[in-house]
Amino acid sequence: MAANKSGGKIKVSFGQALDLLGPYVRERFMGQVKSVWLIILYLIVFQTLVLGIPIAEASIIAVGLSLVIVGLTFFMEGLLLGLMPLGEVIGVKLPQKSPVIIILIFAFMVGMGATYAEPAIGVLKQAGSAVTPWDAPLLFLLLNKHAAVLVLGVGVGVGIAVLFGVLRFLYNWSLKPFIYILISGLTGVTIWGFFDPNMLHLTGLAWDCGAVTTGPVTVPLVLALGIGISRVVDSGDSDSAGFGVVTLASLFPIITVLALGVYFLGSVPAPAPAAQFLSAEHRPQSMVLFDSEEHMQAYALQNSYFNLKHQTAQPVEAVFDGDRQRLNQFLTRLKDEPALAETLLGSPDGLARWAARHGDDAQRLLVFGSPDAVATGVMRYGGTEQQSTALLALLSNNFSLALQAILPLTLFLILVLVLIIRERLPRPDEILLGIMFAIIGMGVFNIGIELGLTKLGNQVGGKLPASFTAIPLPERTRTITNFDEKVIKTAISEQGEQVDFFYLKDDNNYQEIPFDRSNFDPATSHYRYTPAIGPLFGGQMGLSGILVVLLFAFVMGYGATLAEPALNALGLTVEEITVGTFKKSLLMQAVAIGVGVGIMLGVAKIIWNIPLVYLLAPPYLLLLVITWASTEEFVNIGWDSAGVTTGPITVPLVLAMGLGIGGQIGVVEGFGILSMASVCPILSVLLVGMRVTRKRKDALASASGETHAKVAA
Amino acid sequence: MFNTKVSRITAIINKGSLSAVVQALTANGVRHMQVGAGRASALEEPRGLRAILNAGNPSMANDPVDIVTFLVKQSREDQMIALIADAARLSLPGMGSVYSEEVNLINSHDSCGINDVPSLSVKKPENLSSELIGIGCIVQRGQGDAIARVVLETGATVPTITYGYGTGVRDKLGLLRITIPAEKEVLNLVVSRYDAEVVMELMIAAGKLNQPGRGFIYTHPVRQGIINNQITRGASGHAASMEQIISALDSVKGGIEWRRRAGGSASLNARQFLGGMVNLSLICNEGQAAGLVKAAMQVGAPGATISKMKSVVRESEGKHVSPAREIAVLIISQNQKNDVVEAIRTSGGFQDASQGEIVACEVPRAFTYLTPKA
Repeated sequence: MAANKSGGKIKVSFGQALDLLGPYVRERFMGQVKSVWLIILYLIVFQTLVLGIPIAEASIIAVGLSLVIVGLTFFMEGLLLGLMPLGEVIGVKLPQKSPVIIILIFAFMVGMGATYAEPAIGVLKQAGSAVTPWDAPLLFLLLNKHAAVLVLGVGVGVGIAVLFGVLRFLYNWSLKPFIYILISGLTGVTIWGFFDPNMLHLTGLAWDCGAVTTGPVTVPLVLALGIGISRVVDSGDSDSAGFGVVTLASLFPIITVLALGVYFLGSVPAPAPAAQFLSAEHRPQSMVLFDSEEHMQAYALQNSYFNLKHQTAQPVEAVFDGDRQRLNQFLTRLKDEPALAETLLGSPDGLARWAARHGDDAQRLLVFGSPDAVATGVMRYGGTEQQSTALLALLSNNFSLALQAILPLTLFLILVLVLIIRERLPRPDEILLGIMFAIIGMGVFNIGIELGLTKLGNQVGGKLPASFTAIPLPERTRTITNFDEKVIKTAISEQGEQVDFFYLKDDNNYQEIPFDRSNFDPATSHYRYTPAIGPLFGGQMGLSGILVVLLFAFVMGYGATLAEPALNALGLTVEEITVGTFKKSLLMQAVAIGVGVGIMLGVAKIIWNIPLVYLLAPPYLLLLVITWASTEEFVNIGWDSAGVTTGPITVPLVLAMGLGIGGQIGVVEGFGILSMASVCPILSVLLVGMRVTRKRKDALASASGETHAKVAA
Repeated sequence: MFNTKVSRITAIINKGSLSAVVQALTANGVRHMQVGAGRASALEEPRGLRAILNAGNPSMANDPVDIVTFLVKQSREDQMIALIADAARLSLPGMGSVYSEEVNLINSHDSCGINDVPSLSVKKPENLSSELIGIGCIVQRGQGDAIARVVLETGATVPTITYGYGTGVRDKLGLLRITIPAEKEVLNLVVSRYDAEVVMELMIAAGKLNQPGRGFIYTHPVRQGIINNQITRGASGHAASMEQIISALDSVKGGIEWRRRAGGSASLNARQFLGGMVNLSLICNEGQAAGLVKAAMQVGAPGATISKMKSVVRESEGKHVSPAREIAVLIISQNQKNDVVEAIRTSGGFQDASQGEIVACEVPRAFTYLTPKA
């Protein structure tokens, strides 16, 4: 002790520093390995052993997965060192130094800013990528032409939510009335929406908006802020202790999105078949959904053959009134104006890709110029899309996203602290290091998600339906050169239906392949054939195959949830606030099981095409009862855990699976799974809470029972 | 500087009784008190599958508790204890505990300090004992349950655990400090003076406190109190629970001396305890403790453990006290006391920004790993 008498710094040699850093890094890294190993191992084992398909691009995926772990390690440490202490110190200081109105303005801005920092719209657009304007006009309008309004709507929703959340802490309001009013109102609107075809599709989006708005940066910040504020509120006994804002931030955006829907409902046409929707007489109404006529034409062009199985009409012909000449003029125009083609089709080679895949001979010639160019063009663009993973683009994209998510928000908080509250930043070196860790972590993590988890998730999710139906394997697509039509044979079914097929010699195996004329290109004598697998368990749409999928969905939801950084932050906070009486592991397990069940139900919704309202309304109504019966403490924690479950790990995996299954059986949109993954964990946490509360009551009851015994004696 | 001898009352109560206790205290003139969160452990007889998996070993159950502390004149100590015992129904086992310590109020900001409560005649609670000793123990986060378990297994008392943050050598490392976890668990228990030695020895063994960097344990005198003796939970197969039997024997024997464990103390004395130390508790506004402790460390204090708590202030006259407060506990040697207090004073510890209050109490024995003298 004597050596430390001087108050100054201790000089640490390089070797000693390494001795200190070693265990520190190892402990945190292993912590993240512990949280993600289940989901990673599970996906790999499921694909290779259960589905029996080797993993494509395994080395890139391996790199990606290790980046996920490294990224999570940095990000979590950044949250704990930088973002959360920053949020808490503002929460403690702001109410002491500022009038209520400033606090409320600040709260609104934080909520709004958080939405813009973590754009959930990308996720939603992905979930709605298969939404067509003719099937769900209102949904299409909000996701495309009015996407900015949608983001604004969500932002305002989150802003109002944080504002009310802070008001709750300041005046010690219970969360329960908010839940009663919001949930019964929202359930009512959702049931009403069930009877309007446009609103029916929008309700799925609205509920998912609520689930995805609260990201891994927003949740810990808002949580820390709330804890700070409730610490300075002078009340002898507040049970909420800083939780509840996340709940409101999941519910208010649903209101604003539904309100937007109602606002635009009058201006959009009713759903109609594609051909009718795009026909000349219907076009004035349909045009509401597009920026210009060209956009509509380009959209029809790109989505004409979107899903051959389910599209009997050819949208592209309808939009040009069945006039091939006008279609070709449009193609010529796109070819002559590459800039226009890029804006309309989304990428510079969009036109070439369309021609190679869907165009007829004349159109290909028009686009490529010469027969030779057609041949090379078809070879180049005809296959499945290869995503280029240019290292530099990958780095800059993901790090700019990470910077955008963290920097403006933290700068805003620091400025508020320094300029408005006029307090110094406590431990500035630590907080700045934490913010830096968070940015690095998020960047690396995003790269890892893109390279590893999403790829793996897409592979497993895409192949998953193989357990109950036959699915093609596009990445194994091969081209038979010099295909001769003479090899085609004809078979007959019991019903007398004739089917064409041919034999393929593959090494020493002879395989029968059904012949599909649309895959044959007489110009080049190429036949593209896509192998298929499945159904692996039972027959087509067999129950056992579907059960395998449901079981998969449960374990995936469970494993992914345990790896979610925002939930880990919530778990740590809950354990800290309750001084270890509510253990992080208990909360995580309860939430993970809830999410697993929720995702399972969401998948069931897609497979059997169950309307969302049947799945959402009963659990929410049940929740109203359970909420009423639960203690304030568990109501706050339980409802908050719902908001944090859907984060950067769960969402891509769920979407990949949802879209994979949806794509195979032709469902309009993949919305709704995420909202199911939100509602079930609330139930599970509240049930755990009721059990814990009952145990405590029992313990006290047995104590008073003992006194009765004493008195009697 | 006041240097006044006062009583510090600490009540550790079930979360459900907090509002009743706060109400009773404010109604009887206590204007400012601190409330902190903690957890109380108990052993739980496992049932069903858990019983098989754990081979019959009891598992630990944790309940949230609130810890209320405040200062009163020594002459008002009895009535405050009785008041709390009544409000929190401490006559029932498992409802909590309350005790008083003799502390020295060294200095305080005008807004805090002693509560001047009017005299009141109340009935003395029957389970009040005056043969008690307090034990405090600071260990790394996550180690608390193992130590709490051995305390429970002795059947002496129910330990309370709170969370805190350590400062010390860590803060002299620059940014490298983040590699050393600051999170601590603080165990607090009050036991019969006859149990104290054994319990302390078991705690040292369970926490491996004789090894470097494991933790610190110390005793503090307790004047009187009611201890929580609901060690186990769950159905027992007997007509009376062990707690009832102990409590009945206490009243038959007229005290708790009968509980003294026979023999075995000879080997215990082999340990080298630190003596003549003092526990300085500094309560100040949140965010201020780190700076004040730094000042104390400049003059030789080895470090402190800081915990967050809330001030409950009723009918505040004059200066407002922020509810967000923290307490820094410094355990230093007697001869450092004046320097440390002076350093805290000169760094503004008792001015408006910090609104600090320092009390000192004796630490007759303390133990931690000491670097062997070369």
